[in-house]
Amino acid sequence: MNQILDTVFKVVGFFMTLLGLVVLGALITDVFMDGLPRVSWDFMTSFPSRRAGKAGIYAAWVGTVWIAILTAFFAFPVGVAAATYLEEYARKNWLTDLIEINIANLAGVPSIIYGLLGLGIFVRWMDLDRSILAGGMTLALLVLPVVILSSREALRTIPASIREASYALGASKWQTIRSQVLPAAMPGILTGSILAMSRAIGETAPLIIVGALTYVSFLPTSPFSAEFPFLNAEGLFDPFSVLPIQIFNWVSRPQQAFAINAAAGIIVLLLITFVMNGIAVFLRHRFQKKIRW
Amino acid sequence: MNIAFKVENLNVFYGEKQALNTINVEIPEKAVTAIIGPSGCGKSTFLRCLNRMNELLPIFRMEGAIIYEEQNIYSKQVDVIDVRRRIGMVFQKPNPFPKSIYENVAYGLRIQGIKKRGRIDEIVEESLKKAAIWDEVKDRLSHSALALSGGQQQRLCIARALAVEPEVLLLDEPTSAIDPIATARIEELLRELEKTYTIVMVTHNMQQAARISAWTAYFLMGELIEFDDTTKIFTNPKDKRTEDYITGRFG
Repeated sequence: MNQILDTVFKVVGFFMTLLGLVVLGALITDVFMDGLPRVSWDFMTSFPSRRAGKAGIYAAWVGTVWIAILTAFFAFPVGVAAATYLEEYARKNWLTDLIEINIANLAGVPSIIYGLLGLGIFVRWMDLDRSILAGGMTLALLVLPVVILSSREALRTIPASIREASYALGASKWQTIRSQVLPAAMPGILTGSILAMSRAIGETAPLIIVGALTYVSFLPTSPFSAEFPFLNAEGLFDPFSVLPIQIFNWVSRPQQAFAINAAAGIIVLLLITFVMNGIAVFLRHRFQKKIRW
Repeated sequence: MNIAFKVENLNVFYGEKQALNTINVEIPEKAVTAIIGPSGCGKSTFLRCLNRMNELLPIFRMEGAIIYEEQNIYSKQVDVIDVRRRIGMVFQKPNPFPKSIYENVAYGLRIQGIKKRGRIDEIVEESLKKAAIWDEVKDRLSHSALALSGGQQQRLCIARALAVEPEVLLLDEPTSAIDPIATARIEELLRELEKTYTIVMVTHNMQQAARISAWTAYFLMGELIEFDDTTKIFTNPKDKRTEDYITGRFG
């Protein structure tokens, strides 16, 4: 009897797995059949247009890259620092327990709430207007809990024996953390952070709330300039759009040609996410190969 | 015989549980002192008191004093970092850093702020030679320390401890996780190091204590039962409990 149940469960499990894969496969196939012919150099380097055939995603993908970089720039240092404090320095008491529970809860808060928070703090109160900076900081808030949680997880996997070895040589706590614990945990921290980032670049709702545009026919000011000091931050304050918003905009139009544009945009977005996940997998793999405790 | 450590009325608690009970002992310098006793008798706890490693546990609490070089290492004026640098430690399980062989040994120097490449090279080579592992690793200093065998890793850990020029070496069952041939090499090494360092070693292996130590301390349930010349402990112990243990009647 137990054996029959076992077999039944195995078969059911197999078909459930298959179901998930088939649905995903069908979706991707459908998108690729619609969109792939449309993906071209022109499509990547054209601004949006009223005519579907001339429209492209230049502003959108550049905006996505900007936002991704800014989100990482804000979320990564803050998240890793917070995780290091909580894991290595904070005393374990009811307050840290409370903080821990709240961070876990924050990771589950709907993204649109973060959009409202960004609108209130960055756009209105800090007066950043509908800028890339406001968008990047809002998404940084969104991924921060996930970065903190995965960084803590990575720090926790570093065995006590490594810390002891460092202390026994006369290292201070900070030297131990900086020179031994963080470098050993870094691949794990990066893996978690990149996965959080790839979630962020698919977000639409919070960016619509902080005022990302749906029709942008210019690029943000380039951060590189011809004169000294060759770098500038003016682009940070420019309005922007991102891929998911561009896609959303096209999908909501009645013309079939725009639906094809949307499919092509989805392919590009999928590729960016895919590359980011690939980097995370690569890092994890290297981590496991290089470090055996 | 000069005294390295003078332990006075040492009591140690982990939370509510008392791990060591009124230990009084004088550990001679430039000799190997072995600490033997059954599991859970407080051997490792005692060893970890000697370089203040126990303090890393939040539930640790102690009373009494440990005098090293005429100073109580637990007094407020003493810098714990300085204590740990001067009193090095090697652990039960080899625990090299997940870095290159060279970086493992150089780390202790870097944290002291030594930056000169030539100086570091010199000490790394010297330490690896002292730990009798130089010939095996000199061609692959940049390789990962984790690729070495267990016995090699343990000698690397000894080299790492020696690099910061400690005066004392504490070893917590240094050969319990490695094979007999590697164990023999480490014992040979300890006999060599004994000439210049005070060595205190916890061991589970009574033959090992008899082979290499000059002094032996026998611990039982958090108490120091007997401390004497190793030969005396193994041939003519004063306490009945020591005799029971070394003759294998229990433990």
